[in-house]
Amino acid sequence: MVSPSRIAVLILLISLVCGCSGRKTLVALAPDPDGKTGSIVIGNDAGLVNINAPYHATTVAHTGAQPTTPENLGKQNLDRIFAEALSIQPKRPIHFLLYFKKDTILTSDSEKLLPDIIAAIRERNSIDISVIGHTDTVGSMEYNTELSSNRALVIKNALARAGAEAESIRTTSHGKENLLIQTGDNVNEPRNRRVEVVIR
Amino acid sequence: MRFLCLLLFFSVLAKTGGPAYGAAEHVGIVKSVVAVVTIERSGVSLNAEPNIKVLEGDVIQSGSTGKAGLILDDDTIISMGSNSRITIKKFMFQPNEKKLSLIAKIFHGTVSFLSGQIAKLAPNMVTIETPAATIGLRGTHVLVQVDRE
Repeated sequence: MVSPSRIAVLILLISLVCGCSGRKTLVALAPDPDGKTGSIVIGNDAGLVNINAPYHATTVAHTGAQPTTPENLGKQNLDRIFAEALSIQPKRPIHFLLYFKKDTILTSDSEKLLPDIIAAIRERNSIDISVIGHTDTVGSMEYNTELSSNRALVIKNALARAGAEAESIRTTSHGKENLLIQTGDNVNEPRNRRVEVVIR
Repeated sequence: MRFLCLLLFFSVLAKTGGPAYGAAEHVGIVKSVVAVVTIERSGVSLNAEPNIKVLEGDVIQSGSTGKAGLILDDDTIISMGSNSRITIKKFMFQPNEKKLSLIAKIFHGTVSFLSGQIAKLAPNMVTIETPAATIGLRGTHVLVQVDRE
């Protein structure tokens, strides 16, 4: 009588000796939330396959086995296999862009977005909020570094006054180093005078 | 037999690579948790609660009824079903310095991976490793199931 544990050890040893190892893997491609489907490459020592059609999947038995030719498993099957993981998928973080008339004064349109930001924070129960300050390229590096940092702080304080927890807000600033609209130096560009708020 | 066990032990060690030392880079958060999910960090096991930070090198393990959803700093969303074990081996998200890279590893379980900004900005710098194969992504939603045995 050979015990199951001996068989398991034997199988492991064989797989180690032949250099192939690993557990059976199923890889499937699903559409993005926006409906588009990207592409993936699945590969190992034995070869690789491309998947670029929705709900197509390949299986790989171990590192020494070629991934199978992709087949359409269908949305229903994948929804069933991945039901648990899909049921706990968090909402995508939401990004807001707030623009400044000048210095640290918001445009009136951006001012009106503050309640939406607070609503999004509440909806996600978020305690992980990033506030990132930016400037356009008018002025020196030092000036803009300070200005972008002040912009981020002003928004943090405004959100805290409107009901967000200040401890949940992390501020960073990028000065004129991270332009939304690419311009040369010393260019007045309203779309670069901004603070980005990310709510996770 | 003892020799075989030792051999097995060391080959398993060599293949899993052991813990990641000196890793402290902020990667994201655990956003949602059901039942028991643990985070193994430098040999210590923490209970995952909503909004707990995830660092580079953390191993996240869900129990037999557990499941969890993670949000990484670049908006990547990873969610895992029960009996699943994953780690974020490498995470670099500094678009200004063009430092962009994400390597996740799925040891076993069922995982949904919705790629974020790193995949958009640097399409060849996002990979998911499994014991049997490596997956390269170009901005997309990938579902991966890895058997436990």
